[in-house]
Amino acid sequence: MNDETVSQSPNLSRRTLLKAGLATGVAAGAAGAAHAGGDPLITEVQDWNRYLGEGVQSRPYGTPSEFEAHVVRRDVEWLTASTESSVNFTPLQDLDGIITPNGLCFERHHGGIAEINPADHRLMINGLVDTPLVFTMEDLKRFPRENRVYFLECAANSGMEWRGSQLNGCQYTHGMVHCVMYTGVPLKLILEEAGIKTNGKWVMPEGADASAMTRSIPMEKALDDCLVAFKMNGEALRPEQGYPLRLVVPGWEGNMWVKWLRRIEVGDEPWHQREETSKYTDLLESGKARRFTWVMDAKSVVTNPSPQAPITHGKGPLVISGVAWSGNGRITRVDVSIDGGRNWKTARLDGPSLSKAMHRFYLDIDWDGSDLLIQSRAMDESGYFQPTKTELRAARGENSIYHNNGIQTWHVKADGTVENVEVS
Amino acid sequence: MSKFLKVLSLGVSLAALPVLAGGALAGDPDKGAKVFKKCAACHAVGENAKNKVGPQLNEVFGRAAGTLEDYKYSKAMISAGDDGLVWDDATLTTYLEKPRAMIKGTKMAFAGLKKEKDLENVIAYLATFSSSAPAAEEQQGSAEPEPAEGEVQTAEAASAPAPVSATRDGGVFGLGRVATEDEIAAWDIDVRPDGMGLPQGSGTVADGEVLYTDNCAVCHGDFGEGVGRWPVLAGGQDTLTDERPEKTIGSYWPYLSTVYDYVRRAMPYGNARSLSDDDVYAITAYLLYLNDIVEDEDFELSNENFTEIRLPNEENFIADDRAEEPHYADKGDPCMSDCKDSPVEITMHAQILDVTPGSVDDNDAAGMGGVD
Repeated sequence: MNDETVSQSPNLSRRTLLKAGLATGVAAGAAGAAHAGGDPLITEVQDWNRYLGEGVQSRPYGTPSEFEAHVVRRDVEWLTASTESSVNFTPLQDLDGIITPNGLCFERHHGGIAEINPADHRLMINGLVDTPLVFTMEDLKRFPRENRVYFLECAANSGMEWRGSQLNGCQYTHGMVHCVMYTGVPLKLILEEAGIKTNGKWVMPEGADASAMTRSIPMEKALDDCLVAFKMNGEALRPEQGYPLRLVVPGWEGNMWVKWLRRIEVGDEPWHQREETSKYTDLLESGKARRFTWVMDAKSVVTNPSPQAPITHGKGPLVISGVAWSGNGRITRVDVSIDGGRNWKTARLDGPSLSKAMHRFYLDIDWDGSDLLIQSRAMDESGYFQPTKTELRAARGENSIYHNNGIQTWHVKADGTVENVEVS
Repeated sequence: MSKFLKVLSLGVSLAALPVLAGGALAGDPDKGAKVFKKCAACHAVGENAKNKVGPQLNEVFGRAAGTLEDYKYSKAMISAGDDGLVWDDATLTTYLEKPRAMIKGTKMAFAGLKKEKDLENVIAYLATFSSSAPAAEEQQGSAEPEPAEGEVQTAEAASAPAPVSATRDGGVFGLGRVATEDEIAAWDIDVRPDGMGLPQGSGTVADGEVLYTDNCAVCHGDFGEGVGRWPVLAGGQDTLTDERPEKTIGSYWPYLSTVYDYVRRAMPYGNARSLSDDDVYAITAYLLYLNDIVEDEDFELSNENFTEIRLPNEENFIADDRAEEPHYADKGDPCMSDCKDSPVEITMHAQILDVTPGSVDDNDAAGMGGVD
């Protein structure tokens, strides 16, 4: 059958898959009506129904079904000069709920993935502290620990869209975000273990990777809700997410969540490191540049339908689904428009609603088969509403790169295909 | 006789090469894999290996120098190939020991492998990716292998479960141990705009030019203009309000300390922490020179005069004032119906219609906001 052929060929390009998917959608619909005797998948005994499958331990570390082989992170090669200092994207269009599976969390490295034996890893606290300390991983696991769910968004997420619609797919336009449950020790406990001197106003986490990533973080945030985490979604951090130890800086730009965390220095002034001067500063139209723009403002995107996830079922019931998040707390409401922002309906938020975590929304409609211009607009508990891209450009120009949380528009055509567009 | 052949007359004539190459390789490919980490920032091998800063090295054995079609070699490498240089055990050994001594003008910034064992091992490793290469010698004396330094440490760490967890007097939980001065000095190398953290030392523009050419120019260009998509380091003054601003050290970066700090901690890319403190002063001085911030080639930058240098764009950085943008003030219920006067028109379509990896033309796609 057509859909089996497609699913089992891992080498097919995504685009071929999409086209084929569209075709099978139609074929399957026709099949239901055409087989008077019934669907052979029901009337005939299938192999999986007759023969034994693999036993336990055939996959000691479980992996997704072979029919999900297309659900992977993807990169855009021309974005960066080398893969070791680059980024790939979470396949949002293939996911549901609010938790991102560990293997699908987007990656952003500045010097490749450091491979560190946890027995060889150390965390040093130094600078304006009473006692500079060194911790092993085992030491850290003797502190009281907490479990918290947070989104992590790269400040450059949607950065390629400042000048207009560029990339066709929410994986590429919005996929530098993920949301997992972290297990770790509050940074406050670790800093207090060393004793913060009264003039200690800033901390600087540092990574053990080949970029020795560093950022300045104000003490107030460090003592508020930051975690030194060693688990994600219950298992050890993945190497590409900073194994064995990373910093969690809830609601703030992903670059600050230093991976392979090996040192935290306490100081009285910020350090003005490369990633907070030359990068991760927001150039405005005036030529001025904002620095220390830490918070990720409220943002949302419709993940389905979207360019990589076209409508394959024709008109009738349609689930419009998407995700929303805010660095300022909980999402309290998401509105969805199907006419390019002229009229809005409040979507249904479903699943846990946690501060600085991803939220899932749905709008269930009866699609009449006509063109749609789908948008979503998130509101957080501070009362802030996601702005339009036009509003953002009016305030900042087109060269800010970072912090593009403007409303996204998808054009759904009558044949179910979807394109990234901007509207009047 | 061309230059490389003169260098090669370390006793090896071209005619003798194939014979020599026919013998088994002395190195250990597994150990070579470790050595290759020094090369991996610029060179790829194995399945799907592509050209990076340097050419991919699959099938390098038996390949004439400078002949991969889709890689842009230095003129020197191409003419070496034209003159008959073919890569094999002997030629690779000579080249990798001191690349610029053999091929003056090669783009490869790597200084060379000093240890003979490293050379043998990395060549044996490369040979595993070349079908025409001789096999590695059976490794003898496996009862008493000669472990590399790193391996000794790992072995000790594995056998002695020493520093698993420690407790001490003081603190809230009494966990961890006191960091030693040497440990802090080894990791705390950060430098602030006020000069805090600057090590003692100095370097001149002239010294910096040599170091920069050897270590930096392969990616950043001879004049800081950037090669391909690698960062541009110089120029771009007065472009920040242009449609395509050029953000460089001279045009954008607020503080010189960031240059020193970053080069010292993370550069050269793929070989971090390999420059001395004086080297970093010299390279920083040269970057000032490339940006016309100092004009004298004899200028010497040191911890004494460092904080006297100010970068031109320092004053143009402002605090996060997003909250003052009009749409932030717009709290309260937004419009829900008839929010626009007329039916909505599409004003822009995605420019890149097919972003499937591998299907985008790099050059056509370049020029948009990147994420470096």
